[in-house]
Amino acid sequence: MQAWKRLGQAVRHLALAAAALLMAFPFYWMASSALKTNDEIWQFPPTLWPQDPLWSNFGDAWAAAPFARYMANSIFVASAIVAIQIVNSAMMAYALTHMKFRLKGTFTAIVLVGYMVPATAVYLPGYLVLSRLGLLDSYAGLILSNCVSVFSIFLIRQAFLQVSHEMVEAGQIDGASHFRILWTIVLPLTRASFAVLALITFIEQYNNYFWPMLITKNPDLQLVSAGLRSFFVEGGAYGLKWPLIMAASAFTIAPLLLLFLLTQKTIIRSVNLSAGASKG
Amino acid sequence: MKRSRLIGDLKALSFTLPAMIPLTMFWLFPLAYVIYLSFMEWDFMSPEKTFVGLDNYRYLWQDPNFYQSLKVTFLFCAGSVLPIMAFGLLLAVLLGNKLKGGAVYRLLMFSPWVTPMVAVSIVWSWIYEPEVGLANSILRSFGLDGVRWLEDPAWALVGVLLVTVWKAAGWCMIFYLVAIRQVPSDLLEAAELDGAGAWGKFRHVTLPLISPTTFFLFVVQTIQALQAYDQINVLTQGGPAGTTRTLLYLYYQSAFDSFRIGEASSVAMTLIFGCVALSILSFWAGRRTVHYS
Repeated sequence: MQAWKRLGQAVRHLALAAAALLMAFPFYWMASSALKTNDEIWQFPPTLWPQDPLWSNFGDAWAAAPFARYMANSIFVASAIVAIQIVNSAMMAYALTHMKFRLKGTFTAIVLVGYMVPATAVYLPGYLVLSRLGLLDSYAGLILSNCVSVFSIFLIRQAFLQVSHEMVEAGQIDGASHFRILWTIVLPLTRASFAVLALITFIEQYNNYFWPMLITKNPDLQLVSAGLRSFFVEGGAYGLKWPLIMAASAFTIAPLLLLFLLTQKTIIRSVNLSAGASKG
Repeated sequence: MKRSRLIGDLKALSFTLPAMIPLTMFWLFPLAYVIYLSFMEWDFMSPEKTFVGLDNYRYLWQDPNFYQSLKVTFLFCAGSVLPIMAFGLLLAVLLGNKLKGGAVYRLLMFSPWVTPMVAVSIVWSWIYEPEVGLANSILRSFGLDGVRWLEDPAWALVGVLLVTVWKAAGWCMIFYLVAIRQVPSDLLEAAELDGAGAWGKFRHVTLPLISPTTFFLFVVQTIQALQAYDQINVLTQGGPAGTTRTLLYLYYQSAFDSFRIGEASSVAMTLIFGCVALSILSFWAGRRTVHYS
């Protein structure tokens, strides 16, 4: 019996190791291709690890296009969106859970409708709205058009529902304003959900491609995904400079893998919370 | 009394403004606008739009491109959602409860989800390179012929689907892991006493108990699949011969390449209708499923 159990355990490990290898291999392949010379990368059969790792490929790729600018754009825009979303989701969720007002039902319904409409399907009219406002090709346009997320409101609303209403009422009796109650009582209790919101939103916005690409034509405003894609397409890069393309992909991906390593617990918890938010 | 209620209302409304203003500007108004545009004929440039009633929709129903992308969308949904969920479930079952090194496996499998779709699609387009790419090298080492992954109409969609499944399977795995860990162990023990083997326990206890998660993932992943753009844009741009052109891709090609806004909007309406139907279905089913706590 014991032996069977051990064998089962070994088979499980084997299957899992194979699957994990399969999932992680493209990243390894990217890194090793990034270090090859142009001659070696076109060799058949391919080598698993370059004979002479060419570390200068990273420097060359970094210099070949304004990647510092692209990354700074992405980090700045994503951080600004995170900050604004934290504020507006907190206030909206507080109103929906702990305040009484007319139109509450209507607003909840509006948020629900927003949840059902696929964002990508309204990019075209969204583009027209932005252009009417004169916000195309601007940081303001990039940030404002992403500064509200129905998902975030759901997530925080779910967290606020767990906060007992008596605590809010006690605050009111003590004469605290709603803003103060939100700031000093409710927020500290739901910190975990905000950490999740911040991380998920940051990752999503850093990786965002389609919408920023639609609304910005100015190369100085490109986010890192769009910048990487133009590097891939332009300058004869298609098929000619694969090691540099792989190096550029590597430094686009690396910060996120690092962030994920550091915050894996929070990110994995997000799955629980987001399941809860969507069922709510 | 009345006055204080009014003040309460105003206070509450002021709390909702920072979210409601952008939500209206960038979500609700565009939704109304796309409905309006789907009844118009407009080329983006000319100052006036012409009302054409249902002509855009009628035109769509006669357009072979529309049917082809409807078909591609269906294939894309089926070919991504089901494998993603099956693979995710398999990984979660393998990880199961308490396993040494489980955290490391989980980390490796989840990592594709965190990374930008554009960057990983570029990496995959190198893997798919027909002459010396990794995919064909592996095929050849098994004595098989290589495939022109992204240029062959028979394979392009498969190529895009592989990337899509690879990226999302880990995400589903996490959901299933949580669900499987919540299956009460006394139920599993009871089934074991009744003589159920590992498969029997999985089939008759675990699978029914995690069905809400399955349903949730199905809806979310389908909505994701309907909105897939980045990987198609990088890998194939809808080609070859439209074999990877989904409805969403058709929508943006007709809007920003051919400037047929009215038609594009009616494609968008089809997409919105599909997503709304799915969401309503999920809310409805969420209320009726019995397996929650």
